[in-house]
Amino acid sequence: MDGRWAAMVRMWARSLFRRGRVEEELARELRFHLEQEAAEARARGVPEKEAASEARRRLGGVTQIQEECRDMRKAKPIEEFEQDTRYAARVLAKSPGFTLTMLLTLALSIGAVSAIVSVVEGVLLRPLPYREPGRLVRIFTSNRAWPKFPINPNDFRDFRARLRCFESMAAYTRNDVPLAGSGETVRLSGFAVTGGFFHVLGLKPAIGREFDQNDEMPAKGNIAIVSDRMWRSRLGGRRDAIGRKIVLNAVPYEVVGVMPRGVEHPGNMYHAVAYGETVDVWTPFTNYGDPKFRGAHYLDGIARLKPGVTVAQAEGEMNAGMRQLAREHQGSEDGWNVIVNPLGQEIVGRSERLVLVLLGAAGLVLLLGCVNSANLLLARATARHREMALRTAMGAGRRRLIQQVLTESVLLAMGGAAMGAVLAFAGVKILLKLLPADFPRSGDIHLDAPVFAFTLLLALASGIVFGLAPALLGTKAELNLSLHEGGRSSTSSRRTLRLRNGLVMSEVALACVLLIGTALMLSSFVHLLRSDPGFRPERVVTASISLPHLNYKDTKAVSVFYRQVLAQISSTPGVEAVGVGSDLPWTGWDENNGGFFIKGEAPPPRQDFHARYHVATPGYFRALGIPIVRGRAFDAGDEPGAPGVLIINEAMARYWKHGDALGGKVSFEDNPKTGKDWLTVIGIAKDTKDTPQNAGAEPAFWWAVDQEPWPMAADASIAIRSEEDANRVADRLRAVARELDPTLAVAEVRTMEAIADGSYATPRFALALVGAFALLALTLAAIGTYGVIAYSVNQRIPEFGVRMALGAGPRDVLRDVMANGFKLGAAGTFAGVLLGVGFARFLGNLLYGVKAADPMVIAASCAIAMATASLASYVPALRATRVDPMRALRAE
Amino acid sequence: MSRPSDMIQGTLDLLILKTISIEPKHGWAIAKRIEQVSEEALQITQGALYPALHRLEQQGWITAEWRETDTGREAKFYRLTKAGAKQLKQELAQWERLSNAIGLVIRAV
Repeated sequence: MDGRWAAMVRMWARSLFRRGRVEEELARELRFHLEQEAAEARARGVPEKEAASEARRRLGGVTQIQEECRDMRKAKPIEEFEQDTRYAARVLAKSPGFTLTMLLTLALSIGAVSAIVSVVEGVLLRPLPYREPGRLVRIFTSNRAWPKFPINPNDFRDFRARLRCFESMAAYTRNDVPLAGSGETVRLSGFAVTGGFFHVLGLKPAIGREFDQNDEMPAKGNIAIVSDRMWRSRLGGRRDAIGRKIVLNAVPYEVVGVMPRGVEHPGNMYHAVAYGETVDVWTPFTNYGDPKFRGAHYLDGIARLKPGVTVAQAEGEMNAGMRQLAREHQGSEDGWNVIVNPLGQEIVGRSERLVLVLLGAAGLVLLLGCVNSANLLLARATARHREMALRTAMGAGRRRLIQQVLTESVLLAMGGAAMGAVLAFAGVKILLKLLPADFPRSGDIHLDAPVFAFTLLLALASGIVFGLAPALLGTKAELNLSLHEGGRSSTSSRRTLRLRNGLVMSEVALACVLLIGTALMLSSFVHLLRSDPGFRPERVVTASISLPHLNYKDTKAVSVFYRQVLAQISSTPGVEAVGVGSDLPWTGWDENNGGFFIKGEAPPPRQDFHARYHVATPGYFRALGIPIVRGRAFDAGDEPGAPGVLIINEAMARYWKHGDALGGKVSFEDNPKTGKDWLTVIGIAKDTKDTPQNAGAEPAFWWAVDQEPWPMAADASIAIRSEEDANRVADRLRAVARELDPTLAVAEVRTMEAIADGSYATPRFALALVGAFALLALTLAAIGTYGVIAYSVNQRIPEFGVRMALGAGPRDVLRDVMANGFKLGAAGTFAGVLLGVGFARFLGNLLYGVKAADPMVIAASCAIAMATASLASYVPALRATRVDPMRALRAE
Repeated sequence: MSRPSDMIQGTLDLLILKTISIEPKHGWAIAKRIEQVSEEALQITQGALYPALHRLEQQGWITAEWRETDTGREAKFYRLTKAGAKQLKQELAQWERLSNAIGLVIRAV
């Protein structure tokens, strides 16, 4: 049986691809037959001349036999397809204007969608590079003040020991370390991780081992795992790197493992480092401290669910565990809940909306492209009415004609897809350049085979869908009418015009939707740029410095160092102000302190006082241009022995309900008694939000560096406001730091303007893309409107001729045609506004400071849509006014 | 020449398969053989033979090759495939049953 199937396939392929040969053999076979037959007739005594004709008579019509044989070969549909394709290509080549417009329309819309689908695929659909990533979850805590917060080390250890929903659990926290060695000290992006961290992710070291829970003992000695990048650049990429020592934080660490290439950091919350290959060194987390002390939350939790366990089940179990811990530890865990979120959602959740909005916008453009194509094809079908009628008269069946017209549209779609793929390829490249630096998974975005297959499928589907209506309408056999009237003013052409009017209205509506979206995003962006950041980013150079804890054990050592740096920098010509602080605005700082006391004030019911925790030197506020709205900044007098002082921001000042915040007293002691336990608020700084998009600023306070009880400022940022060129300022800073302590790493040197600019990157990216799509949509809608109006003008030329012969002026004709365009535009705009308001709601958190149904935005969008429709009808209207009455009438 | 109906087409297939079951033959020889054996009673148009041959070849029942005839001319010779032989056997059996049944009916009336 198999042999037969193989034979069938072989024969089918042969009749398809070797058609010439098959036909030629058949001809030879039939010739042989005729010759034999004739020879036999001659042998019977039939005269030479008659023998041949008798043979032909007995065999029958050769052409007919050949045709029947062709039918038997079953390859006919494909042969027809080939014919149709050739015909279509010829026809399309004959009208290059139409073909080019179609191809461009399709290429642009298909290209736009493919590029965005690449992003969707890379960011949202492609599985994360961990084993069974669907079972990975992130663990956070929350209470009334902090809806999403890191976890406490001792809580984590108890969870890990007790809980049953998880296969494995680990925690990690940022631990950047200066790496000393040959040349300048550099700061490595590092994490302290609990034992089995990589095991949870399903990753294994390329060489060596990963940490286990024994490594969490502080006494175990200093060990580290390094990234592939670090192994290659700093350890020579040698397999015997295991056991080698590297100097981190001025302490030797033994390398026990090397991770392979492509190990992506799963992202974290506390002192966030973005998802990606962003981490170079991992050290064991050992800092559990006293199990009774559970107030410090700074670990990011990650866990792998057991198969079949849902996120909700795990969260339920975690919360039961938390309540148990609260009972065991009398109060310190009260009010805390646990949040369990899928890892994928944590990584891309923030960008999901943006990606989906872009997909929606690209989808609208594709829809518009299809509608426009249908419109163009329809216009063409009408113009080809005579051709179709003629072919019908010649005996072509309707099915065959539809097939022919569809072939044309599919051919156009494929051409458009090919061009679109090229555009998408370029588009993805450009997109990656435009993408905000912190965009998750941008490394996973590229145009690949599945996306390309999707494009092809999309093109094919759109080719058939948008080709169908014109094919059905265009081939409607109204033979007599068409041949007589040349397709003019017949019922079918009126129906076509109605359909085309509908198409144009939907084009204007779609464009209007995108216009509204763009206008809203533009308005948010302007709002964003105009809103006061609370600091002045111009001419400020910043950098971060880490002081190794070994050499800078206490506040005194830290403050002595900074005093020297600041003295040297401020004496540099051109420097206006310089300051050191725990952090810089808009860099994701999220160090918090809760449960402090304010003299004379009580916290809101069932909440505590909480605020962002910062440290600053006297020059910090001036260097960053953060105004002290009341009171004063720190000065040299705020020394260790002097009365404790605090600067707070306006948001924190609102905690004072009864008295003045300035001069108010704040204590961080558990049981403040004496005057020394209280700090005095000496200044109120202007609010600075976490990011420009945030609704408001968090309450915040600043300790003076010299008075801070914990040496928080060991990892600090320096800000220098200077007239000098940024590079020279940075060089000066490096030189000063090296002179004071050659083991220090000056890292993340950037201007404050660059930081601010980075904060605008996402809204700017969204705006640029949606704006580009809107422009594209507007162009397509203009083409569509132009096409329809031009067509209706052509149809009405005799009418215009008559009217002008009867005394109508060009202005009347112009007004008439433009009114037509205006009506279509108005109807489309109306529908567009209704849809646009829906689209605006979908924009959600991409909008800032503007309502979804902003009347100004809607009015502006409507005006643009209407203006475009009117302008597009102006050109054909102008042509209508130039109609020569005599010629128009004669043509009739 | 009209297209053979299904009934005649099936019969023609059977005749062709039977004719080449003994030895491979070219188209003209098959036509001659059918005319000869049926004593010219079955007037099949010669032209209908070739589409039938095409179909049978397409279905894998028969296969063809170009060979020299006795007179030294190139001709396309058809022969049964294994599947074709099996098919012939089935169709013959079916034909027997059918003609027997018809015979019975006719005699009974």
